Amino acid sequence: MTADARTAAPNGRRLGALPRLRAPRLRTIGMLAPAILLSVLFLYYPLVFIVQMSFSEGSTFLSPTGPISTLENYAAIVNRYLPNVLVTLQLATLATLADLVFGFPFAYILVRKVRYRNLVRALMVFPMFGTLYIAFGLRFILLPGGPATPLLDALGIANTSILFSLPSVVFAMAIFTFPFMVLNIGTALSNVDPTLEEAAACLGARPWQTFRRILVPLTRAGTVAGILTVFGWSIGTFAEPLLLGSVNEQRALAWTVYQRGVVQTDYGLSTAMGVVLLLIAFVVTYLSLRYSRGALVQ
Amino acid sequence: MVSSRQLTNIVSHAYIWICLVVFVLPFLALLSYSITGSSTAAGSTYALKNFQNALGTFSDNLVWSLKISGLTLVVNTLVSLPAGYAIVRHQFPGKRILFSVLTLPLYVPAAVIGISLVLTYNFTYHLTNSMWGLVFAMALGTFPLMLIPIVVALKDLPIVFEEAAECLGATRWQTYRRIVLPLIGPGLSAGLLLTFIIVFNEYLVTLFVHPPGLTTAPLQVFNLIRTAGLAPTTAALAVTMQIVSFTAVVLFLRFFGNRHLKGTYLL
Repeated sequence: MTADARTAAPNGRRLGALPRLRAPRLRTIGMLAPAILLSVLFLYYPLVFIVQMSFSEGSTFLSPTGPISTLENYAAIVNRYLPNVLVTLQLATLATLADLVFGFPFAYILVRKVRYRNLVRALMVFPMFGTLYIAFGLRFILLPGGPATPLLDALGIANTSILFSLPSVVFAMAIFTFPFMVLNIGTALSNVDPTLEEAAACLGARPWQTFRRILVPLTRAGTVAGILTVFGWSIGTFAEPLLLGSVNEQRALAWTVYQRGVVQTDYGLSTAMGVVLLLIAFVVTYLSLRYSRGALVQ
Repeated sequence: MVSSRQLTNIVSHAYIWICLVVFVLPFLALLSYSITGSSTAAGSTYALKNFQNALGTFSDNLVWSLKISGLTLVVNTLVSLPAGYAIVRHQFPGKRILFSVLTLPLYVPAAVIGISLVLTYNFTYHLTNSMWGLVFAMALGTFPLMLIPIVVALKDLPIVFEEAAECLGATRWQTYRRIVLPLIGPGLSAGLLLTFIIVFNEYLVTLFVHPPGLTTAPLQVFNLIRTAGLAPTTAALAVTMQIVSFTAVVLFLRFFGNRHLKGTYLL
């Protein structure tokens, strides 16, 4: 039986040039089913669930008579929790700016001058192990009596004024997302021919002019993609405000979602905040997909 | 006398190194703290006692982390391999949209995944007390990171090998197992590496959906910092996690190079 099938198969299928392109519809569906099932059951249905919950009143969502729809959760966000939204956006914006300012020269030097790129790559994975370890490490460094104390004393700054403050939160967030920025800008830069810069220099352009007129326009797609990626990662910030921030930074949305939803079981409000966070993320994703060119699937 | 060109070079390389030091600084600080910090249990004072304490006290957490990572790797492989193959090699309408739909979990903030899953587990799926709830949450967040390198690897693989195998009489399963799988091996292992280092260090979604009594090592680090403040043993646990992750990355780069990580989360 199997031997028959094996010898018969080539003759049966040789007519078409690419047999695999004519795979039966059922087989395609079967191969895609696990992935579709996983994302529908554990992402799309839960997202619909929290959207519904955010529009229903207090405890009526699970009552047998059905939920009473309301906008009170969103009204509460606008009236009382707007600072939380704003502080989240502020933190993400500052971290993105820091990454852009420090990341562009880093990517440029990395692409044009550095030969030990594998070493750089290996060391750059450390931030990617997660925000928790970065925040933990910085908190230890900045703690009174910690390794940074002599330096801060010399500068005349109190430890606590740095430790629980906006700059330390932004610094930690920027460290975490820095590799994404460098990756995006670096990819764009490596596609720019170095002779263009030399030509500009020969024609009398100053370095600043070369940067503004040659490099910035030619790497715009990569830079925009980097900005949006970093911003998208930054709005979900959780450990950094908690471990390094003052009360003001601790209002960041992700932490409030946890606090309201899991600790205080105020499901309506926390799901509404989750939806706000999701909307910001989707806007950013939509923009970044519009700007990014090289799609994987044609 | 240093020319201006040399000066630019020196400044450039110094800049790169300062940035690299900043990246590694949190890790180095924790490492020095975990080696020199005095543990509450005063007594023996050799350098690695905090690690010994950490590995003793937190061995349960480490085992849970490894177990969850392992199960997630299996689920991700079973989900992403066939899906990646069908996306690249089969013709069907709406391919682009489907690919976007499948990679969307990457763009959803972890806290949103967490709150939506904890509520559905609680009210609809009744998975709150099951380890599988956590595994599926991890798989959902990371399977796109496996799908992308597989799709890239398959696109780079000419179809002639599969055609040749078929002409020589191989069955479909033989072709998958003996031809396709070895040839996309590096791409597949890039996905495995990404999944491992993310799930192994994940604490945020875990914080939302972990079943009672199951605390992974990163979550334990988070809980201890929040409740007990900083302690050298906690630092030792965090350092251990990072060293294990870093070893995985270095081994991967050594065996496969960085080519297969392109277009994904890592460089």
